[in-house]
Parts: sequence; structure tokens; C-alpha cells
Amino acid sequence: MSVDRREVERIARLARLSLEDSEAERLALELSRILAHATRLGELTPRPPDGGQIERGDGSEATAESDGDGPSAFAGTRDSGAEIPERLAAPPESFAPKMSEGFFVVPPPPGVTAQDAGRSDPRR
Amino acid sequence: MTISALRAAVESVREAEAGPNGLNAFLALADPDTDSGRGAEGGSAQAGEDGDGGRVLAGVTVALKDNLATLDLPTTCGSRLLEGYRSPFEATVVRRVREAGALIVGKTNLDEFAMGSSTENSAYGPTLNPHDRTRVPGGSSGGSAAAVAAGYVRMALGSDTGGSVRQPAALCGVVGIKPTYGRVSRYGLVAFASSLDQVGTFGRTVQDAAKLLEVVAGHDPRDATSVVAPVPGLTAALRRDPEGVVVGIPDEFFPETLDSAIRVATDRAVSALRDAGCEVRSVSLPHSHLAIPCYYVLAPAEASSNLARYDGVRYGLRARGRDIVEMYERTRHHFGPEVKRRIIIGTYALSAGYHDQYYGAAQKARALIAGDFRRVFAGGVDVLFTPATPGPAFPIGERVDDPLSMYLSDVFTVTANLAGVPGMSVPIGKVRGLPVGGQILAPWWHEERMVALAALLERGLVGVDT
Repeated sequence: MSVDRREVERIARLARLSLEDSEAERLALELSRILAHATRLGELTPRPPDGGQIERGDGSEATAESDGDGPSAFAGTRDSGAEIPERLAAPPESFAPKMSEGFFVVPPPPGVTAQDAGRSDPRR
Repeated sequence: MTISALRAAVESVREAEAGPNGLNAFLALADPDTDSGRGAEGGSAQAGEDGDGGRVLAGVTVALKDNLATLDLPTTCGSRLLEGYRSPFEATVVRRVREAGALIVGKTNLDEFAMGSSTENSAYGPTLNPHDRTRVPGGSSGGSAAAVAAGYVRMALGSDTGGSVRQPAALCGVVGIKPTYGRVSRYGLVAFASSLDQVGTFGRTVQDAAKLLEVVAGHDPRDATSVVAPVPGLTAALRRDPEGVVVGIPDEFFPETLDSAIRVATDRAVSALRDAGCEVRSVSLPHSHLAIPCYYVLAPAEASSNLARYDGVRYGLRARGRDIVEMYERTRHHFGPEVKRRIIIGTYALSAGYHDQYYGAAQKARALIAGDFRRVFAGGVDVLFTPATPGPAFPIGERVDDPLSMYLSDVFTVTANLAGVPGMSVPIGKVRGLPVGGQILAPWWHEERMVALAALLERGLVGVDT
């Protein structure tokens, strides 16, 4: 399983991570290696030590036929082209009670003063 | 009296850590001038003596892994994102330790968000192994293990998602217990992989680790995964007669590639068990080879979901951005390399098109791994015995650029988390001058069995070198 830099960048966007170019390159290599190791999960065949049936962790029984790498009940139900939507159906300003500098303004959580809530990144 | 005892404990740690043999084991130390770290008011300094109104840890020094929420000390999880973060509430385990009269000395270093096997992934620098400062203490609870091994504190709390208590305990030569999933409340434990995380205990002796577990164990209505079940008398099990106990030795945990000195140390421990009257039996856990790929799909998948909350809105660091998405991305850019790696792996494994291939397959593997344990224990085996780690502590920096090699450090410990069974590491001697551990695994809810066996090994193997 080889993962390229573009794929890592797509996943990073889904995860809301911004990556440096060098990070994306490195992660592509590392992810490829890790996923190659994980491909043995695809060869999953229950191994009964005595040739009998396998008991699942939940106590029910499974066989190689029913529990192998066959089609899942969920296969095909997801849109494989799913991406982050480019924009909302309506701009947030049209439904948000209050916004400031592109952010939603919400009351501070219980026990936190507005002054505390304003404290953030000390480096900025 | 108690306050001055705390001051003495904190100052001695501060002095030792500032000296040439400092270990960077602590991220924060208690302030003896405030209530910070103090047990309930008053109390005896008679360390650990029962009978002080139920305050079984009166005067005992305890350290807390810095992913346990505390009111008086920061909770950073070893991350820049939570630098200086103060929790508005206290973890249940911390409250129980405090109410038992313990002196909470400070918060210990860890791999960022408990992701790692060496404590090198901490944003605040690695912890050093007290037995050899050029080597790692293990991880992710490396600070807690090193603090106990160095004598900074008598006991410590950690968390174990894939071996993060047992592996550092083994590499630092102390005792570490991961209880059954559901045995200890995780209210206030910062979530990494919620189907695997469990709070665990460290002690220099089996008795100390067991006693701390007795204090923190038990149902907590604030944690829906904590189970209403009687807590077994662990310290009462320490002198249990081992005659007739059936110890299973899983073949899969003794591969040909196993460090020969680890094999010798483990064989010697098995001989000690046999000599004490245990029946030793070879068994098979045939799906163990799936444990590492299964774990390194499931744990990152859960982590990618759990860590979505660190977006700059509610917790800790917030970076500036032109809009909210850029703010999220710039904030999360401050995660360290290993956390980013796991978020990427997890997001990939859960993403459309790959979900069944990785996450679905890993869930099936997990059921098979749990079934292996169920079958072995149902077949009359009381406990399992294995090496805790494939080798002794490795040099700092050796594996930091090779994540797969680092992940394989957990090869003997992850199965217990995947199955949910309890496990512990107990010192079984030294290899090339470095401590190594034996791992004891027991059926769900039977921690007392492994504590009894560990105490037996402790009496028989102290000070043995290979």
C-alpha cells in the first residue's frame, strides 16, 4: 500500500492539520510503511488451534467464511468521493446569533470569566 | 506534619532533578505553601500504615501522570497545545488518592497525549532512565516509572492504552499494573483511545502497586465504562499459596527473534514458578501476530476522533487565522510529530474507501484476539506469563525516526488492551545491567491472581542478573 504526498495532504485537510512540505513527504513514506504492516489484517483468517470454530470476544461464533474479508454490510454505503464541503448552504452570518472576525461568539462556559476566556496563545 | 513532609518530598525531588543526575521525570511539582498536593487535612506521617481512619496512603508520596486532571497543578499531557492548562475539575483517581491521605508530589512527564513508548515524544524533553541516563525509561508513562525507580516517590499513577504502564515499569525495574478495562474510573483521564485506555499503578514493590490500585479501583458513576463489581482484596492475595496454580506460557510470545538474554530471564522466572508449586503449561494465542497492526489501526482511529477537540476553541493554545478553518489548522500545527502521525493514520483508516479495509478488519482481529484469551482461560489456565518487552531499555534517539520499530516495542503488551484483560509487569532480573520485566496476564476481573504470582516472583528473583 503506497500513499503519496497528495493523499497525505487530503487526509490532513480532513483532520484540520496544516503540514509543512517536508512533513507531508515524510508522513507519506511513514504511512506507506505502517499501512504495509497493517495489510496483514486483510489476510485475516480465524485460526482455530484445534480446527474447530472460533469464538468471538462477545461469545458468539464466527467462521472463516462469515468473518473473513468478505463484503461488509456497510460496503458501498459511503460516498467514496466525500470531501469537505466547499461552502455551507447559507452563510453563517445569516443564522448565527453573533459573530466577530469570522468566529461565532458564544458565552463562556460555567466557572470561566469572559477575561479568562479571552486568554489564549501566549506566543501570538 | 503532613505539610512539612510534602515540602521535604518536593524539595528533595527539585534538588535531585536540578542536579547532574536529573531525569526530567516531572513536568510540575506541588507547591507546599498551598493545598496543592496535600492529602486531607491533618493525618499521620506513618507511611502506608492502615488503621488511620481508613487513610491507607497517609504520608505516602505519590506522583501523577500529567494526563490526569488536577485542580492545583497544570495538566499538559506533554503537549504544547495544553501548556499551562488548568482543569476545572479533578480526576476521580486523583481525588481518591488525595482522600486516602497521600502526598501528591507532582505531575510526571509522558509522551504527548500518551502516544509513544519512550517518553521522547514529550514536548518538554525526554525523561531519562535512572539505570542508564543515555537510555529511555519506556513510555508513555516514563516519568511515573522513572520517578518511582529513582526513589523520588513511593508510588505513581499512569495510564496504559497499549502497554504504557507495563513497558516503562519493565524498563525501569519497578512494578506496573494495568487493571481490567472498566476496573478504574477514567473520569478526568485525558482520552487517547477510549476503548483501550485504563489508569494503572506503579510501585517499587508488588505490595505498593497493589495497594495504590485498591485505593483507586471501583465503580464511579461519572464514568459509564467503570463497572459495578467488587474490588478483589489485592494486598490480601500477596501471600496466597501458589500450589496448583496453572500458568500458561503462550508460544507466540517467545519468537525465535526474542533477545536471548530476555529468554533466559523469562525461563528462570518460569522455573521459579514451577519450583513454587505452579503447574506450567504451554498454550497458544494464535492471533497474537495481528495485535500490532490491529492496535496501530484502532488506537490512532480513536485518537483522531478524541483529539479533534483540540481546535483552539475550548482548550489551551489558540493560533490566529484569517477564518475559523485556518485557526483550527494553525492551532493543531503545534501537535508534535507522533501525534500528527497518529491523527493521519487514524483519519486515513476511518476515511471513505478505506474504512472496511483497515478499521473494519482491525475490529474483527480484535474479536479474534479476545477470543484467544477467552478460550485459554476457559481451558483451565489461571494466568499467563510472558516477557513484558522484547528487550531492555534502548538508547535515546535510536528509534525516534523509525515509528514502526518503536511500535514493535509494544508487541507483548497490546493484546491485553485489545482483549481488556488485566496485566502487570514485575522485575525478573537484569540483562546487560538493565532491568527487564515479566508480564503476568489474568482473566477479566482477576487482578488478585497476577498480584499473587508477582509477589512470588518478587520474593524469589530479587537481584538476579543475566
